[in-house]
Amino acid sequence: MFALILGRLGAAWITLLVIAVVVFVGVELMPGDACTALLGRDAVRVEVLENCRDRMGLNRSPVERFFAWAGDLAQGDLGVSMKRERPIVDIVGPRLRNTLILAVAAALAGVPLAIGLGVMVALRRERPFDIIVSTTALVAMTMPEFVVASLLILIFAIWLGWSAGVVTAAYDAPALTLLFATPLPAVTLALVYVAHILRMVRSSVIDTAGADFILMARMKGVPERRIVRRHLLPNAILPTIPVIGLTLAWLLSGVVIVESAFNYPGIGRLAVNAVADRDLPLVQAITLIFGLIYVSMTLIADLLAMALNPRLRTRRL
Amino acid sequence: MTITQRLLAGVMICLIGSPVMAEKLLLRANDLSFGGAESLDPLSPNRFYEVNDLIYSRLVRQDDAGQPSPELATSWTSNADATEWTLTLQTGVTFHDGSAFDAADVAYSLGRIEDPALESPVSAVLGFIDRVEVVDPLTVKIVLEAPHAGLPILLLDYRVRMIPDGAGPTIQENPIGTGPFKVESFDAEGTTRLVVNETYWEGRPLLDAIQFTAIPDSEARNQAMLAGQLDLNTITRDQMALYADNPAFQVQSFPSGGWFGIVFRTDTPPFDNPAVRRALRIAVDRQAMMTLMVGETGGTVGCDTPVRVDDPFRAMRDCPQDIEGAKALLAEAGYPDGIDIELVTSDVEPGMVRFAEVYQAQVAPAGIRVSLKVAPADGYWDDVWMTAPASVTSWGERPADQILNEAWRTGSSWNESYYANSVYDQTLDQARATLDPAAAKSLYVEAQEILFQDGGTFIPYQEDGRQVLSARVRGIAPVGEDHVRWHLVDLAE
Repeated sequence: MFALILGRLGAAWITLLVIAVVVFVGVELMPGDACTALLGRDAVRVEVLENCRDRMGLNRSPVERFFAWAGDLAQGDLGVSMKRERPIVDIVGPRLRNTLILAVAAALAGVPLAIGLGVMVALRRERPFDIIVSTTALVAMTMPEFVVASLLILIFAIWLGWSAGVVTAAYDAPALTLLFATPLPAVTLALVYVAHILRMVRSSVIDTAGADFILMARMKGVPERRIVRRHLLPNAILPTIPVIGLTLAWLLSGVVIVESAFNYPGIGRLAVNAVADRDLPLVQAITLIFGLIYVSMTLIADLLAMALNPRLRTRRL
Repeated sequence: MTITQRLLAGVMICLIGSPVMAEKLLLRANDLSFGGAESLDPLSPNRFYEVNDLIYSRLVRQDDAGQPSPELATSWTSNADATEWTLTLQTGVTFHDGSAFDAADVAYSLGRIEDPALESPVSAVLGFIDRVEVVDPLTVKIVLEAPHAGLPILLLDYRVRMIPDGAGPTIQENPIGTGPFKVESFDAEGTTRLVVNETYWEGRPLLDAIQFTAIPDSEARNQAMLAGQLDLNTITRDQMALYADNPAFQVQSFPSGGWFGIVFRTDTPPFDNPAVRRALRIAVDRQAMMTLMVGETGGTVGCDTPVRVDDPFRAMRDCPQDIEGAKALLAEAGYPDGIDIELVTSDVEPGMVRFAEVYQAQVAPAGIRVSLKVAPADGYWDDVWMTAPASVTSWGERPADQILNEAWRTGSSWNESYYANSVYDQTLDQARATLDPAAAKSLYVEAQEILFQDGGTFIPYQEDGRQVLSARVRGIAPVGEDHVRWHLVDLAE
């Protein structure tokens, strides 16, 4: 068990290293650099461009820069943003907090809802309620986040006026202020994965309902309500928990779009701006944080799966 | 307003029983075009101009005809050959910290334009200022390296703003100006709040505060505007439909000097032949092109002049589509069967690809076969512009003298068509030395005529600027940002 966890941790580090190299090469391959992005047409003035590149350390070779960056990182230093000329920790820190507020709000509201709805529709399989909810879920799954975002703003902010359209709170606003600003972004973010989890729970419950032990319980005369609570649900939902973990990790990709659409001051919006600015150290830091979150969510999901399913715990058998 | 503030306001209304005077707060957005490196130094390449426009004043400002009128300078005169300008300053003006504004501040603010450490883009505009002398506390003398009759016009530049003597190194932390608003809190990536300058020399502004919220995404800015979270937003032509016929908004459009053009490098074959580049320009139906691009009334057609529509020095002439003339010119230049050219464009600004496509279709009947190459938007100004033999360009508005010198004078750093014509240069020199406006106008018009006859830049029209205001905003005329008289802007109850 411990050897396995250690092995997975080792693999995680290698994954992160590969991510760092790929992102570095990717940003290097894009036309332009932080200075041409910053200067625009002024980049034509050669001496201004050269001064800028000197200041940002862009005159060194890419390999040299990568190892300098990796060396700093090994000492826990994420470096300094090229464009913002401030330590990256100070820039990323508050925004990471904001993204976590949004993600946790979306998860807390969405996961229980998804599981509950999934069970309800499974128990009313093929009836109008199931058909309506399952179809809605399918539609929600296929709609891109930016469409959902625009629709929600149109309905709840512009037509009904119940909510603010985009978030105007600053990145360093108190956590509570940001929490109050999250309803629409959180719903947008949650919609896609609620549909995913709902469909997964539904099919798991339906599968389990056909299992022999349920039939056995029924034959023994166990009341239907007790069958559902005691036998069906624990067996149907436990296996979906690790998958829910993976779905939440995958949800991170939605953060980039949702935060831009709602102007939410999180790490996703920062990522978009950092790429546009060619702010390489900042892009690197954000990607690594995303990678780290994804890798650790996957790891937790795997460990949960093992904890919940004894058959996975041993290599024998 | 936070929820607590709202509750408090509610409680106060109940207790006092009379309406509380609401703060008049105008809501605006910061598009973060400098990614958080926005500078409160008006001369910085990263100048946060929407804010700088409100906190600092210029020496002169545009009147309704676009001409210089008094702001911090009340009058200006030059010597006979336009090499020395004497400016008289407004009395009784104070900076936000209470100190008096005087000639030393002007000398300092103009003097630092050429500070190499600043790398200010303004040095390309006003770099010909040799020195600024303080004559007395309310008089300065600007000495030029060469004659320039249009100095007051160039002082209209939105970046030439007055800061206290010696304040340059600390202006970012301590942004003190003489403008109608002063900085209460500054955070480009968050919220920037300006409050009224109670002692503004033209009288107390009508607004109490102006707030800028960072909204980098253009769609998100529109959503915020539509949801009533902004009072003012710049929009594109395509976005006008979002606000049309909606009583909650006022949509404004106004002439601006902005244009797209196609640059044919005059130093590169086949465009080094004046007949070829002229043919490439006269084969277009400019009105049709403008209608397709920005709508029939979305701009003003021009004949390859970069000068803004309401500039008194703009050349007025007609240039209808001339397919036969273009064919004849091409035949004369040795292309009797038409000519193949490659045109590079990019999505660097919305519409630039469409612009090239419309051009391609327009010139086809004249035997000009354009192959389009769409380059990545990233690095376009670095990799394509001023490198490719033919490319699409985009310029913002500038006074006549500035744009004619910046983009076509021999050796100028943004001479994108590599135009080199001593007659043209001399005409501009002469215009700069001509104090009589009518005589100066005929010289500037002559320079534009040279560009139409001989130049390598195709400029079919100039597009209008557009903005949307919420219905409650009063006092913003349909003019560009830096023409607005901000102390007269108000919000309806």
